[in-house]
Amino acid sequence: MVEEQRSASASSASAGRPPAVSVRGLWKVYGPNPLSIVGSPDATLSRSELRAKTGCTAAVSDVSFDVAPGEVFVVMGLSGSGKSTLIRCLTRLVEPTAGEVFLDGEDISKATPQRLRELRRQHFSMVFQHFGLLPHRKVIDNIAYPLEINGMKKAERHARANEVIELVGLHGYSHAFPEQLSGGMQQRVGLARALAVDPQVLFLDEPFSALDPLIRRDMQQEVIRLHRELGKTMVFITHDLSEAVKVGDRIAIMRDGAVVQIGTPEELVALPIDDYVANFVRDIAKSHVLTLKYLARPAQSDEDMDGPELAANMIIRDAAEIILQTHKPVRVSENGKFLGIVSSEDVLRLISGVA
Amino acid sequence: MTHLKKSHLLIGVGLVWITLSRIFQGNQTLELATSENTSFTSSVGDAAASIRGNRTKSAAFIYFFNPIRAAITGFVEIIRSIISVPSGNSIIPVIGWFGVVAIVAFTVYATSRLRTAILAVSLLLACGALGMWQFTMDTLAMTLASVLLSLLVGIPVGIWAGRSDRVLKILTPFLDLAQILPTLVYLAPLALFFLIGTASATIATMVYSIPIAIRITAHAIRNLNQSPIEAALSMGSTPTQTLTKVQLPMAKQMIILGINQTVMAALSFVVIAALIGAPGLGKPVVDALIIRNVGQGFVAGFAVVFVAILLDRSTSAAAKAQESFIPLTSQQIRRGRIKVGLSGLLAIASIFASRSVLSLAVWPGSINISQQVEDVTNHATKWITTNLYIFTVGFKDFISNWVLNPLETLLAFSPWFVTLSAIVFIAAVIGGMRVAMLATGLLTLIVLSGLWHEAMITLTQTIVATLLTMAIGITLGIWVGRSSSAEKVLRPFLDAGQTLPAFVYLIPMLGLFGPTRFTAIATGIVYSIPVVVKIVSEGIRSVPIAMIEAATVAGSTVRQIITKVQLPAAKRSILLATNQGMIFVLAVVVIGGFVGSGGLGYLVILGGSKPEMQGKGLVAGFAILLLGVTIDRIAQASARRT
Repeated sequence: MVEEQRSASASSASAGRPPAVSVRGLWKVYGPNPLSIVGSPDATLSRSELRAKTGCTAAVSDVSFDVAPGEVFVVMGLSGSGKSTLIRCLTRLVEPTAGEVFLDGEDISKATPQRLRELRRQHFSMVFQHFGLLPHRKVIDNIAYPLEINGMKKAERHARANEVIELVGLHGYSHAFPEQLSGGMQQRVGLARALAVDPQVLFLDEPFSALDPLIRRDMQQEVIRLHRELGKTMVFITHDLSEAVKVGDRIAIMRDGAVVQIGTPEELVALPIDDYVANFVRDIAKSHVLTLKYLARPAQSDEDMDGPELAANMIIRDAAEIILQTHKPVRVSENGKFLGIVSSEDVLRLISGVA
Repeated sequence: MTHLKKSHLLIGVGLVWITLSRIFQGNQTLELATSENTSFTSSVGDAAASIRGNRTKSAAFIYFFNPIRAAITGFVEIIRSIISVPSGNSIIPVIGWFGVVAIVAFTVYATSRLRTAILAVSLLLACGALGMWQFTMDTLAMTLASVLLSLLVGIPVGIWAGRSDRVLKILTPFLDLAQILPTLVYLAPLALFFLIGTASATIATMVYSIPIAIRITAHAIRNLNQSPIEAALSMGSTPTQTLTKVQLPMAKQMIILGINQTVMAALSFVVIAALIGAPGLGKPVVDALIIRNVGQGFVAGFAVVFVAILLDRSTSAAAKAQESFIPLTSQQIRRGRIKVGLSGLLAIASIFASRSVLSLAVWPGSINISQQVEDVTNHATKWITTNLYIFTVGFKDFISNWVLNPLETLLAFSPWFVTLSAIVFIAAVIGGMRVAMLATGLLTLIVLSGLWHEAMITLTQTIVATLLTMAIGITLGIWVGRSSSAEKVLRPFLDAGQTLPAFVYLIPMLGLFGPTRFTAIATGIVYSIPVVVKIVSEGIRSVPIAMIEAATVAGSTVRQIITKVQLPAAKRSILLATNQGMIFVLAVVVIGGFVGSGGLGYLVILGGSKPEMQGKGLVAGFAILLLGVTIDRIAQASARRT
């Protein structure tokens, strides 16, 4: 089901609708005279060389990408790769050194403080790694906070807060204080607060990194569910590739401030652009990411050609049961066009990592 | 210079210094008889006299100083007339003693717990029983007035400094200076502009306590968890919304703690401000010190200690009550409201009773144990000084003969240029070139002031007291830092020691050592040990546990762990503690001018009482400031360079 959603939004991305978020040539350079680094030959130096030469650090260097409406776009990288700075540049919690960020066509890097506040109050919201809840407010007042600063009356904002409380599964906790809640529940409050203003875009900065693995998995499912129900555009930062693959329609891999590769999980696993990405995706279970298209091969003369037919965009894991039950190779076709066959041996080889 | 070890250089400087000192002993010491004025000090005296003479004529006085004085005096007098002095044409204050006790009980009960309220009431009653009711009320009124005014300035400025780097940068030098400045230095210049009396005392107290309020408030705002603040910004909060809805509620506990510190600073200053006419408990303390009546001093001193404990306990309990944001259950809230409501009614009833029943309005004279306390303490001191002679006088003589006198000879009885160069060399070795140049400048100013010899006497006492303080403080600090049971035992004493006004320590020391310079030194030691122990033990405790475990696994003995792991790792804390200790010691040593320590402190005090010495007193105060900055810069630089 997740996959259906994923393919639906991926196709809508390609359908030519204007992007929800569009980033063009974004830079964030720390240090003396940061503008001089932007676009200069120095920018191609490695981080330590750049610092030695100019005293500057390029936390984000020349990043461009588009996020389609309704897409979950994941930015993935190790610590220090600049992903947290990047998401803060998108919301201007950190002022970018250069570049443009368009939100529904509006360049927010040029917004006045007044307009920026309006955008923050109504158009996008953010979820933080360490939750950022107000310790002196009850859950309901934390969630109502963005509505409150927008001037909404108390009864009205509490009514709205209660709606989101139900939505994120916090029923019964509205009068608790953050410190009384577990980490997972606190982040539900963070999510609810971000959803309270019904934003077009949700920015999530490593939202589950501070949580235990089991709770993290629950919360990932929760985000997937909310995305399915609400269809919000999301920009999701993580350092955990399996999380990226689980929630992301497309993933951008960052290294030293620059984007190395952008693609669907399948593209990254099947066609890593360099050793860095390849190394990264090596531990991903290929059968969970790749589709039958990847395995399809021409039939050999001694193979049966009358097995069942399966769609090329089917994830191998989901197809595996059918393939292993049929004693004949399955035929893979895309939009009616025959691509090749996949035998049970092919599937087993892929799963065991021999292929 | 790099191939020579610092310690070798220091020993070299010391040897040259001692040799030169021997050769030129007694020459060019710039010694000045106490009653003697230089042309500089007398011209400062003339200037001061002319300022005083212009009080009714000059525009600065008519439009600036005098209105401020009138406003502040008025404000303080209103508070005093409520609890302390007869109000209007009545013979009693607005609220009698019983009403005051009830108000204190109610306030403390409403903001913290019953136990603290009972403690507060007992302490107040004890002050009354010591025959100190009126003085206590004056001290409370002065403290309250100064604290209110200080917070009125300190909290907004602190918030501003907490939010703006530029404001903090501008304020920092002043805040640092305020930390160095010994209390005694504030008094005379303020009295010059605001006359002797409550206004000067209140303003001096404010000058002393506002920096503390600013510092802690700014710190509270700056050290918040930044994550909720970032979240609030990301949701489009305006700066004002972020401040009122996020930062202030989160910083509340820390700010209340800042209020606690401000109150304690104000109290200790109000006591010493008796020297410029502050009403309150400082007055009987000063009187007792002047006539060297230890027993009488103890009576007033006990009252000061009681007020200090009362204020500290009740304000820190209020801060503790803010620790959790989680309120109680609704049933607890309701019960709490009933309790507060009932006790509030009781307090109001008590106030009315204290206005209509004379024995509840004026502290009954029959309840007075001051004579007994005076006798007991006088006997006790006498017993100690006769029977433990060997400890008190023996210790005093030992330190005097073996440390104090040789050092004084070296510092104060060498030619001034020898001592000055030696100090500058030492500053260069341990603090670097910039500090050495600064020290040269500051010390030259002291020479030019004409009070070099007196300054060196004060410096000698400061150094000796600091050495002893560090010897005791580091030992205790290691102990407290390593053992949590030691911490539990000593913590109350350390806390209490830090909150008591330095002035009251003079009383028992005077009893033990008589009116000598050693009394000042001993007071300085006792006063500064708590802060040294606190910093050192925190330094020891913050040594990563992994380092200790690694050393233990490698088979180190306890001694090896202390000397080879904990002390080196805590070196910075120890240097910082030394710096703090020296500043604290200096502040007390100059107050010791009261009990015969001589030096700059005595000149300041003399300047306050003899008009012809006023110029010299003001210059001496300035010299103390220069000395304090010199000590602080050298010590800071050495801490920075490790």
